[in-house]
Amino acid sequence: MFPRKLTNFIVAALCLCIVFASVCPVAHAQKKTAPVEATPPPLKEDFKFGEVDLEVLEQVDLLDVRFERDGLVLADEAVNAYLRRIGKSLVPRGLELEKVQWRFRALRDPQPNAFALPNGSIYVTTGLMSLIDNESQLAAILAHELTHVMRRHTYLHNRSNRKKFLTMNVMQAVGAYAPLSVVGAVITVVTTVAPFIMMATIYGYSRDLEREADIKGIDMMISAEYPPEEMVNVMKLLDKDIEGENIRLFYNDHPSLDERIKYLSSYLGSRADTVTPQMELNRERALYFRNMESVMRHNVQLAVNSRRTRSAVYFAQRLVDFRADSENLFWLAESYRALGPRTPLLTEKELTNSAMKDAAKKREKRTFEEEERDLLATPAGKDNWQKHQQLAEETYQLALKADNPVPVAHRGLGMLYEKLERRTDAVAEYEKYLELSPAATDRERIQRRIEALKEKLK
Amino acid sequence: MSARSFVLMFVLVALLPVTGLHQAKAQFLHPKIQSKETTIRRVVVLPAKVNVVRDSMKGPEGMAAESDELSSRVEAMVTEVLSKKKNVATLPAAGASADEQQKYNVADFQTKFDTLLPNIMKKRSDVKKGRFTMGDEVLNLNLEKGTDAVVFIRGEGKKLSGGKTAFTLLVGGTPAYLRLQIGIVDARNGEVLLYTDPIFPGDPTTAVDRLRKALEKGFKKLPEVKAQ
Repeated sequence: MFPRKLTNFIVAALCLCIVFASVCPVAHAQKKTAPVEATPPPLKEDFKFGEVDLEVLEQVDLLDVRFERDGLVLADEAVNAYLRRIGKSLVPRGLELEKVQWRFRALRDPQPNAFALPNGSIYVTTGLMSLIDNESQLAAILAHELTHVMRRHTYLHNRSNRKKFLTMNVMQAVGAYAPLSVVGAVITVVTTVAPFIMMATIYGYSRDLEREADIKGIDMMISAEYPPEEMVNVMKLLDKDIEGENIRLFYNDHPSLDERIKYLSSYLGSRADTVTPQMELNRERALYFRNMESVMRHNVQLAVNSRRTRSAVYFAQRLVDFRADSENLFWLAESYRALGPRTPLLTEKELTNSAMKDAAKKREKRTFEEEERDLLATPAGKDNWQKHQQLAEETYQLALKADNPVPVAHRGLGMLYEKLERRTDAVAEYEKYLELSPAATDRERIQRRIEALKEKLK
Repeated sequence: MSARSFVLMFVLVALLPVTGLHQAKAQFLHPKIQSKETTIRRVVVLPAKVNVVRDSMKGPEGMAAESDELSSRVEAMVTEVLSKKKNVATLPAAGASADEQQKYNVADFQTKFDTLLPNIMKKRSDVKKGRFTMGDEVLNLNLEKGTDAVVFIRGEGKKLSGGKTAFTLLVGGTPAYLRLQIGIVDARNGEVLLYTDPIFPGDPTTAVDRLRKALEKGFKKLPEVKAQ
């Protein structure tokens, strides 16, 4: 009896040791990370590549190829060159990092996001590029991502995760063979709780790395003579949750945007010597919009296609505010048509965490068309629909009256009239579109629509 | 408990997830296919997106090269099974020579399928009611004349390291597997005509025969086209 109890006791003690030994260094490390001293290039000079890191590198190199092959990278050389120019201006001159080749590319995705691969590939989505106001904000995003690469965050995170996963698995194995006794119960409790603690430390470490990238990003902006307060403004823009997607989960790999705004502002308080005058920012904004107009249009199309209709209206309106030419007006009209019975802005109630979670669940249950049908059955939905269809029609007409009218506005009107069951008008608009764009890629689709409408008109 | 019954119980527990995986497969046909109003004779298979990870004691590791290789294999095998078992011909999709706009069209349509997939997964049996559609945007793919349907292939799998295999046997956990999600969409109006999700246990990167068998079972209900 005695030796068995002793063994159980030793196993339980070992379990506790493993849990605390693997958690404590991390907890300690959390306090040590994200130093706020202004050190020029945020390099991880003591980093040595191991076999595991080389495996990660191989994987991410293939990821680059996949993005390109799958048509996810925006093939707009002017835009990619613009990103490259800003990115390179942030990288300290003459800096050569082992196994890093800087590449800056736009990703065709309407969701605002950016990420860095450890091989030096930095991707900014068209959604994020459309959300921001000026080049300095784009520099803030790139500086954040550059820090991830320079500080070798992906490799460090991977190494740390591997240790924690191994601990979790060992704990699970011990827990599975816990004896039926009080000590066994203790082992079971410890091994059940341990994975949650481990997960918390994995996400905690990730948040620390993000914090460090934010802070070091500010330093890089200052070195490259970009106004650093724009980093805070980017966070504020990201906080503008147009689609109601910023759901706070139990585990989060990024600090909350509120928290980021707070610590960046406080860090900036001690660093910013001057705040850029508004006039200068306005000038920068106009220049940025000129450079990004094609990306922003492309992004509105992606947003409409992926049913991010509120974002589509928001971005298209920004484009029209910048320049009310035929193409920008067309995109605004398309966005209103796609918005249909939805409200253009979410209410405060709809933006609460529980409401956003409910909405996400509903999106899984109902298709976009079913959601539209359900909304149209409500008086508010019907009102919105009428209002937005009218706005869409007026804006299409404006697009056709503007200089160099885009033929696609006729197609848009055709689709609008088809939905409103104004079939003769729809056929006329479709035919006008095909007449003006004989080589349109969607010719077959429109021809079939014309045929179907004519069939109904008989 | 005697040593023999312990071993027996251990084997049963270890095999439970494997047998469970074998049974978990389903296929749902649109009423137009069931009533033979629509017949699928010629299809275009869009590039498959199959991802496998290697699960080790130190957590999951990516297998990008193997995933690409497996994607190509699954794509080829779907073509083979449809042709040999159902007499369905596969027409070439827009190749590498496609211009940027065409590449975007395919990418956007693939994304559209990914957006619809959670809705289908939530209630797969509704494919039988003809509830799901991707719209007539499918015509923007400008497929070859006479194409009846477009095939979308998604998949996820897991390969276990030696250590993790032993761990799974001793402690339990999901064994190595490959799960596919295949949707066949009408090339004229975007209606989802068939949805099937074959699944099989075993190393997804090497189990070629199991993959073929799983696909054959997955397309079992699809009516065979009479050879002309």
